[in-house]
Amino acid sequence: MTALTTHKDTRVKIAGALVILLLLIIAAGLFYHQVLRHDKYLEESENNRIRISPIIPKRGLIYDRHREVIADNRVSFTVSIVPFERVPDITTDRLAQLLDMDTAMINKRARSNFVSNYIPSPIKRGLGMDVISILEEQQQYYPGVAYSVESVRRYEQGISAEAFIGHVGEVSPEDIKSERRKGYRAGSMVGKEGIEKAYDQSLRGLEGTDYLEISAKGQITGSYAAKEKIPAVPGSDIVLTIDKRLQRYIAESFDSLEYSGAVVAMDPRNGEILGLGSFPGFDPNIFSGVIPPAIWQTIISDTNHPLLNRPIAGLYPPGSTAKLIAAGAALEMGIITEHTTFKPCLGKMRFGDRLFGCWDLGGHGKLDVYGAIEQSCDIYFYQVGQLLGVDSWGEYASACGFGRETGIDIPGELKGIVPGSDYYDKLYGPRGWTHFLVLNLAIGQGEYTITPLQLAQFYCGLANNGVVYRPHLLKEVLRPDGIVEQIDPVVAFTLPFSRHTLEVLHTSLELVVQGEHGTARSLRNKQYTIAGKTGTAQNPHGNEHSWFVAYAPSDNPRIVVVTLVENAGHGSEVAAPITGRIIKEYLGDLRTVETHAGGENTVADES
Amino acid sequence: MSLDYRHLDWKLITAALVLSLIGILLIYSAQYDSLRGESHQFYLKQGIWLLGALFVFAVVIHLPLRVYDFLAYLFYAGALVMLALVLVVGHSKYGAARWFAFGPVHITPSEVAKLALLIALSRFLAYTKLAKESIRRLFFSAVMTVIPVMLIIRQPDLGTSMVFVAMLFSLWFWSGISPLYLLLIVSPLISLLAAFHWITWVVYLAILIGLLLLIKPRAIFGIVTLVANLAFGIITPFFWNRLADYQKLRIITFLDPGRDPRGAGYQIIQSKIAIGSGGILGKGYLGGSQSQLHFLPERHTDFIFSVLGEEFGLWGTLFVVAIFGFIFYRGIMIASRCRSRFASYMAWGALTILVFQFFVNVGMTFGLTPVTGLPLPFLSYGGTSLMLSWTLVGFLVLADYYWTEY
Repeated sequence: MTALTTHKDTRVKIAGALVILLLLIIAAGLFYHQVLRHDKYLEESENNRIRISPIIPKRGLIYDRHREVIADNRVSFTVSIVPFERVPDITTDRLAQLLDMDTAMINKRARSNFVSNYIPSPIKRGLGMDVISILEEQQQYYPGVAYSVESVRRYEQGISAEAFIGHVGEVSPEDIKSERRKGYRAGSMVGKEGIEKAYDQSLRGLEGTDYLEISAKGQITGSYAAKEKIPAVPGSDIVLTIDKRLQRYIAESFDSLEYSGAVVAMDPRNGEILGLGSFPGFDPNIFSGVIPPAIWQTIISDTNHPLLNRPIAGLYPPGSTAKLIAAGAALEMGIITEHTTFKPCLGKMRFGDRLFGCWDLGGHGKLDVYGAIEQSCDIYFYQVGQLLGVDSWGEYASACGFGRETGIDIPGELKGIVPGSDYYDKLYGPRGWTHFLVLNLAIGQGEYTITPLQLAQFYCGLANNGVVYRPHLLKEVLRPDGIVEQIDPVVAFTLPFSRHTLEVLHTSLELVVQGEHGTARSLRNKQYTIAGKTGTAQNPHGNEHSWFVAYAPSDNPRIVVVTLVENAGHGSEVAAPITGRIIKEYLGDLRTVETHAGGENTVADES
Repeated sequence: MSLDYRHLDWKLITAALVLSLIGILLIYSAQYDSLRGESHQFYLKQGIWLLGALFVFAVVIHLPLRVYDFLAYLFYAGALVMLALVLVVGHSKYGAARWFAFGPVHITPSEVAKLALLIALSRFLAYTKLAKESIRRLFFSAVMTVIPVMLIIRQPDLGTSMVFVAMLFSLWFWSGISPLYLLLIVSPLISLLAAFHWITWVVYLAILIGLLLLIKPRAIFGIVTLVANLAFGIITPFFWNRLADYQKLRIITFLDPGRDPRGAGYQIIQSKIAIGSGGILGKGYLGGSQSQLHFLPERHTDFIFSVLGEEFGLWGTLFVVAIFGFIFYRGIMIASRCRSRFASYMAWGALTILVFQFFVNVGMTFGLTPVTGLPLPFLSYGGTSLMLSWTLVGFLVLADYYWTEY
């Protein structure tokens, strides 16, 4: 027997004493509640009802990178019904008239937003003081009708914010089931799509609770004394990487075009999204209240699909912008060197029994890789593609980030397709296709599809010595307790290219703008050099799509811009000039900002 | 193998039966619809469950002790598989994965696992050759407990997990380990709580060191205990202060759901009003129509005791508490006179589950213990709970019947 053990008799005594103690605690508790506090509880059970009134916290604001507001809240009221404080039909009728709704709709909403008998079910949001003052004055006519302050979201208009910001709406029954632990309940507002959804947990804050005593007549008599009011915790404000001025510029320049399309502007040094536009867009504010059916109908029947978020979910063949993959892969595998030339371009060339054409039927003559990219010669790249083969090409395309999600921090991103042998076997049967398909892939056509964001990410890598940061929109979270959470950039992957290969590609991209025959010569300017690539995506449904992707200043890139204009023909004609203007707007803007910030060495020059 | 029915512990069986019948009576009242003048069908179902539970009880007492002993680990392994499986394919309510459904029959693996762990721990502790206070013995039995606990916490079900932990400590105690030694084992957790204020923590550490000097455990054990206490005490406030308010609140609500004002917190208010307004004599059977009670969720399951308190008053509640007290008394007697160590552990574990669930459930109805979703044995609505309760009674009766055997 040591101090670590006990004898059996002792154990029985200890256990017996413990059980007796527990029983006495229970008995004492029952005595306290049932005898000593009996009167109080009896009164509560007979006279009073308790209403649980949620206190909705302020939803966090959304700022751009310079702390300018993109989304804020407009004060408004929500009218609800408390199921337990039964609403006789006459009240429902009266309420229907006041809220301009029909009674069936009120009953339907009361049912679908039911949480518990004591918690108000929201009926209508976004109401003004006019309605509330009537309810206040005529409380006795509206038993069981409650109202509370609940702000309605307001988004900056005219900046194409709908491409990233999303909207808020009533939580769906499926979300309540799967996300119950996040504090969602029927009738509460949650972020849907975009930033609002991705960072809902930060933005929404924590609901508070007020306990109200309701008299038998249904009037609020005061706070329930036995339970303290729990204050709401406001949501965190969040700061995006978006530059609102640039974003507005993008929206305005695209809107003047009357084409559909997409723009992505990114900082290659950290993956921050500076601007993201999808055109045509829509006003995200329509989701804040009940959407008028007529407006909704216009949006969904629009053949230009305004609800399609083109930069992250639009799939297009990349056209010649993808020639950099074939060039990089061939250099890397030693199939070509920077000086290798192939059979000269005469405008077309025979492969097998088919004739493949170049976009310039006049022909480019004999070219090395620099010239082939500068002039975007298809014939050169057909020959590169043939040497590479489908699967090597596919490996490099995948390693450059295509065919998979970029991991941007908003939902709804699509992957696109990088076709390989497996893909074609499935599509055409194992012997139903020839390796000449790779010729199309090498020039960015065919079954190969990408999102504009993937292309921006790839060129960020080219601009940033092969290091690719994960694209993201969140810059900072401003917590209500004053703590600022900074979001650190994350390296997503590095391009599968050596330093030398990257240099060759970089020089080629500069030639596209600076070269004598460059396809984007029009963008040459005195202040800074731009490197970029035009592209034209074949479109079986109509005119070709126009691409341009560029980074600048090319010796120290601070911005990558991808512009896609649907059905606008050659990349050099429509997409390139807009891209040039967007870059100019940003670098011009940046120049003034950074000079103010302390005379950092910038591209100061005559304007 | 035939039993001599005269030698069964009929007093114990009667007590359990009385509680079960009171349960059906209360379920009828809890789901009584005064407009229709009748009750929903829950009480009928509970009657059928009771017949099922009595059948299970009959099977349990007709199997020889050796069978439990022999199948202990197999049963334990089977229960673990079920626990893992229920996380993947199980059905859930309120976002918590808990049961399998075979038509109308629901199987709750965590209840099966309670029994499996009880039998497996009994076998391990009864036959292991390791010394009582040996760390390896503690370690192996702790691992046996922690595996199902980790699976159940993921469901997530904190209450049921606590039953497992309580059982482990109780069986350790019953195996002869000093309660002070057990206190040292849980001391890092106490340190964690004490560390929310530096004064309480310093006082606590002083007591801990005193305790270590008094018990004089092995040096290595003492050092590990001390280091763990220091670490928990220092690290916790550091992490806690870094959390945002809403994150803190979520953790607190997980540990004590009564703080959730919409859900359990609200139930507690209503439950207190129900019990308190019952007074000494109660409002009479079916007379507890105080409106709150009829809107109290789970009143036929977790809050059945509140219905008792409202309708039958202090006399009713004390009567039921007294019957439980009698069952606990019989349980301690049976476990202590058993000659077979295996049977003794089985009885002790069964007793622990009953005491723990009784205390947590009844305490919850007036806000003493956290709202964890543990049913009240014998009384709460639910087939699984009722069958578990009766199986435990079966273990007690069995241990009593064979008390002379080794």
